[in-house]
Amino acid sequence: MFFSWQQLLALIIITFFTTQLFKQKRRKRINGSEFILWLIFWSTSGLAIIFLKPLDRLTATLGLSASGINILFYLATLTLFYLVFKMRLHLVRLEQDLTSLARREALRGARSQTNRATPRDSDSK
Amino acid sequence: MKIACVIPAYNEAKNIAAVLEKVYPLVDELIVVDDHSHDKTSAIALNYPVTVIRHPINRGQGAALETGNQYALKNGADIIVHFDADDQFKSEEIPVVLAPLLNDEADAVFGSRFLGHANFPPLKRYLIMPLARQINRWLGVRTTDPQSGFRALKREIWEQITITNRGMAHCTEILFKTVKTGCRLKEVPIDVTYHHFGQKISGGFRIIKDLLLQKFSN
Repeated sequence: MFFSWQQLLALIIITFFTTQLFKQKRRKRINGSEFILWLIFWSTSGLAIIFLKPLDRLTATLGLSASGINILFYLATLTLFYLVFKMRLHLVRLEQDLTSLARREALRGARSQTNRATPRDSDSK
Repeated sequence: MKIACVIPAYNEAKNIAAVLEKVYPLVDELIVVDDHSHDKTSAIALNYPVTVIRHPINRGQGAALETGNQYALKNGADIIVHFDADDQFKSEEIPVVLAPLLNDEADAVFGSRFLGHANFPPLKRYLIMPLARQINRWLGVRTTDPQSGFRALKREIWEQITITNRGMAHCTEILFKTVKTGCRLKEVPIDVTYHHFGQKISGGFRIIKDLLLQKFSN
């Protein structure tokens, strides 16, 4: 099986990211489910690049006019949109947690001045 | 009946004294939530018989209101009024907003700038507000003013509402959650003096985005 230079480049990039993924896992910077998710993602990408020609044939069999690489791009774009959306939701939850923490701190430090004279009281004296 | 007024404030050193001066004789407890102002908002507020709660970081008006609500409920408030710190609302209208609650004609009262004689900038009156009203209608809220920040609700209604939108989407959120409680809701006319334009069209889109994100994140 011969690869074009674009496929080789793509495979090098995928190998680089997969290596990084294993390093992150070894250093315990990501949890198990995240590791599995990204491993599936990069493995699928690698397999799709290796089997680009069969993917082309499969695409044609399914009656789609686009080539295999185009389908990969569409899927990649959709995946990216989904990941960005998930990240936004994650950010919203983080913001909520931050607000709760800030609120707890603020309520603990609430300062009342109910016993103090008001400016109007002091003016009248 | 203990009436508490929550005033969220962010960099309002210029207006806060005038607002507190006018509001504190009208309520039993005045709570200023300083949303991490960079000016002397807190220091000025502390010259008055109020409770000042200062956020350690800026969290937005919705978050400030929820902080004030939690404090007021914990301190036995029977009615909580929300009032702005920018001196745009009229303090003499606080009794008007409170009247239906005190006479037990309603459980939640919202001030409506459309029932009053508020002088809206044209863009706001003819484009932003009708759009906001339409969005509220899709959510089942049929009030004349879709974004009023002047409101008073009874304790039992506030206990069912947690304001989760920290930005300006909290107005829609409060209206929506109030309607959902099935309580008696009333609108009363209020006037507003605009010192600046306030929310722009981009702010409206941000509200929609915040509401959607909030919906999906829950």
